[in-house]
Amino acid sequence: MTVSTFATGLRAMLTAGAVLCPAVAGAQAVDYQALQETIGEPVTTSVTGKPQRASELPASAIIITREDIARSPARDVPGLLKTHAGIDVNRWTAGQSDVSVRGGVQTYNARLLVLVDGRQVYLDHYGMTDWNLLGVQLEEIQQIELVRGPANALFGFNAASGVVNIITRRVGQTPTVTATAELGNHDISRLAGSVTLPVTPAIGIRLAGVRAREDERRIPATLLRPAMVSDVASDQVSGDITGSFDGLETVLGGGHSTNRQAEYLPSQLLSNQRYRSDNVHASATRDTGWGGVTLGGYVNWLDVQYGVGATADATEPLGFKNRIIVTQASTLVRLGKTDTLRLGGEYRNNRLRSAYQFAERISYDVGSANAMLDLHPDEAISITAAARIDRLWLHQAGAIAQPSYDVASDFDRAFTRFSFNVALLVQTDARGQLRINGGRGYQLPSLVNYGIRLPIITPAPVPIFVAGSPRIDPVGVWSGEVGYARTIGGTQIEANAFVTKTDNAIASPGDGLQTELFLTPLPSLVARFTAIGDYTTYGTEVSASGAVGALTWRANYTWTHTDEQLASLTLPIPYALSPKSTTPVHKANLALGYDIGRLSLSGVARYTSSTRQFAFSSTPQLLLYRVDDAVALDARVGLRLTSALEVYVAGENLALADGAAVSPIPADRRVRAGVRLAL
Amino acid sequence: MCGVAALGSATPLSAELNVPIAARVVSFLQPGPAGTVAAAIVFEPGNAASEAEAAAIERAIGSGLAAGRSAIRARRVPVGAIGSLAGFRLAFVTTGLRPEHAGIAAAAARSSVLTISSDPACVQTARCVVGITSGPKTQIIVNRAAARAANIRFGSAFLMLIKEI
Repeated sequence: MTVSTFATGLRAMLTAGAVLCPAVAGAQAVDYQALQETIGEPVTTSVTGKPQRASELPASAIIITREDIARSPARDVPGLLKTHAGIDVNRWTAGQSDVSVRGGVQTYNARLLVLVDGRQVYLDHYGMTDWNLLGVQLEEIQQIELVRGPANALFGFNAASGVVNIITRRVGQTPTVTATAELGNHDISRLAGSVTLPVTPAIGIRLAGVRAREDERRIPATLLRPAMVSDVASDQVSGDITGSFDGLETVLGGGHSTNRQAEYLPSQLLSNQRYRSDNVHASATRDTGWGGVTLGGYVNWLDVQYGVGATADATEPLGFKNRIIVTQASTLVRLGKTDTLRLGGEYRNNRLRSAYQFAERISYDVGSANAMLDLHPDEAISITAAARIDRLWLHQAGAIAQPSYDVASDFDRAFTRFSFNVALLVQTDARGQLRINGGRGYQLPSLVNYGIRLPIITPAPVPIFVAGSPRIDPVGVWSGEVGYARTIGGTQIEANAFVTKTDNAIASPGDGLQTELFLTPLPSLVARFTAIGDYTTYGTEVSASGAVGALTWRANYTWTHTDEQLASLTLPIPYALSPKSTTPVHKANLALGYDIGRLSLSGVARYTSSTRQFAFSSTPQLLLYRVDDAVALDARVGLRLTSALEVYVAGENLALADGAAVSPIPADRRVRAGVRLAL
Repeated sequence: MCGVAALGSATPLSAELNVPIAARVVSFLQPGPAGTVAAAIVFEPGNAASEAEAAAIERAIGSGLAAGRSAIRARRVPVGAIGSLAGFRLAFVTTGLRPEHAGIAAAAARSSVLTISSDPACVQTARCVVGITSGPKTQIIVNRAAARAANIRFGSAFLMLIKEI
């Protein structure tokens, strides 16, 4: 059955996504900066859970260091990731970004797990990441780690296409202050600062905060839009206390973040959202002669309102309150001189409260156990195997909304999933390295996918609801990768070939709602979140980097091909999911950096081939809009006035390429100037 | 420049000790050192290579070199006076002292002194705890037996990133 979906309230049909259940990688006791300075290259724990050199990882990974961040024209984490191979960043609106790894571009991407110091900042209610609600600012980041490909065996549900772990700076032996103030066109303003303070040799304090504002882009009149569109506003404060006591490292902290912005929902309706997030976290890591033990936990609270000010009469927004409680324990055991075993366990409770779902509370508990074995049978060979088992119990509680389209017992459900990763790394000679890996992971349906029940306003003679389904299954992902890296002179080259197969991808109802008819107590129609089919992504990534004198350079090219067996794209389009349409086939990036005296120059050129992206027309009708291929130019010029003070000018999309944002809303040019203090 | 190659070692030998890296290695000791870390620069008077490396280490340390929460301060100790390393936490073993390695190791073990050398042979023969070599990648080698003999322990994250023999 086909029904056009538009209503005055744009009653945000919260659409597709999937929750993930990440597991903290722990290892907070690792002093990344000190280790990097000691061994001469970045160190990460995000691939296997043990500290590893960037050049010896059993999976394809990106590590963006503090130095990279300081000289980049980018002003947020997606902006830093977008210039790397295999990464798609869609700037749907001025505030809303989605980061996709190796294809599968969609709004509210549920397949990429995002962590800050191992704590999940991915939002479980809908299965998405609000990159303006991370609670961390660029000035306090030590490094950003991105693992391409499923990493479920370490992190659990939802690291289905990869994981981003943002590592913040540790409190050192001397106080530090960083502060940035900048202004730009489109009413860009940003004031950020962070302080680290060693109170005693063993105890340190870190405080950080940011206030950022900018205007929304101009939305073409041909696109459906709320009567009022929010500009972007985000405010964050965070702090923690760290302790270091002869091999015992402790962290206790918390944060508060708010964000307001316009977003494309998974249904592709444009809606204003208001987020508020709070967290507390604690961890303790004990270093021992045989390895180490980490205990940790955190609580995240999210209060989000959808459809804020969607109409001039300010229709009441839809409110959702999500709370997750996570406790984790893991141990790293050194087996002999070269091998490592990691064992971990996790429990999490995830609860969503809203008037717009089957019952007042939809929740689940997940118990997990995982193991990783890293073996080095030969100096030139390493074999890594990781496995994880997750058991989920789904629940509902509180008053059941009437009329209901499921029975309460449907939510009395449990299932188990087993995920794994295996990798072989061969040092072919002193300068070459072959990597083969693969794995199986899962994307968990979000709490919205399970339990939403949202009336929508249509001209239809019977009520229509968008609903989740307690019977929906996790999305399975198979992946495989072959990579080769080589150093030739001062040039580092890496080539990867990958395949990722996604089974039973979940989609939100779009246009032309496919509905179930219920006759009692009164006739009504229900359109559900559902699994609509499979898709497979193949591709290659080629990257090279090096330096010529004071000039540093980095270049990469990505080819991505998608085969999909999903819902029809003929009008009316029933589901807004088509990775084949939305993922660029070709991408290329060239980044240059040059330091001359006190002057620091950097620039990035990014090519993205044309795509088609979903959006509702003003008619309203769900359509695929062509987004032209684009060459986007970003640049930054910095002048150090003193060793601690720098003034800079930076700009994004300087050539004003409409397709640079890979969004139905054309990109604009954003230029800003600022001053940066680092003491 | 050390003159170890003249000794005919089959193992590729590095240039003089990378002292800043050595200082960072010290910061990974467990328990972590605090305050002043007294370091001995073990050298052989009259041995040009040894004296040259000793001078280079002195220059690198200057009046004090930070190592985590501590500061390294060093003074020369002739290998002939190595009988006791009491009072030192750290000893830089300069190149050209291979015949003396056994004695240095014994003294270090008695006083729980961390020995660091740019001569891989000292580490490979379990006479020194840490070897630091240069090349395309910084290579840090820790000898487990020598570390145990001197009751030296490093943080596990550090040990997972270096080569332990």
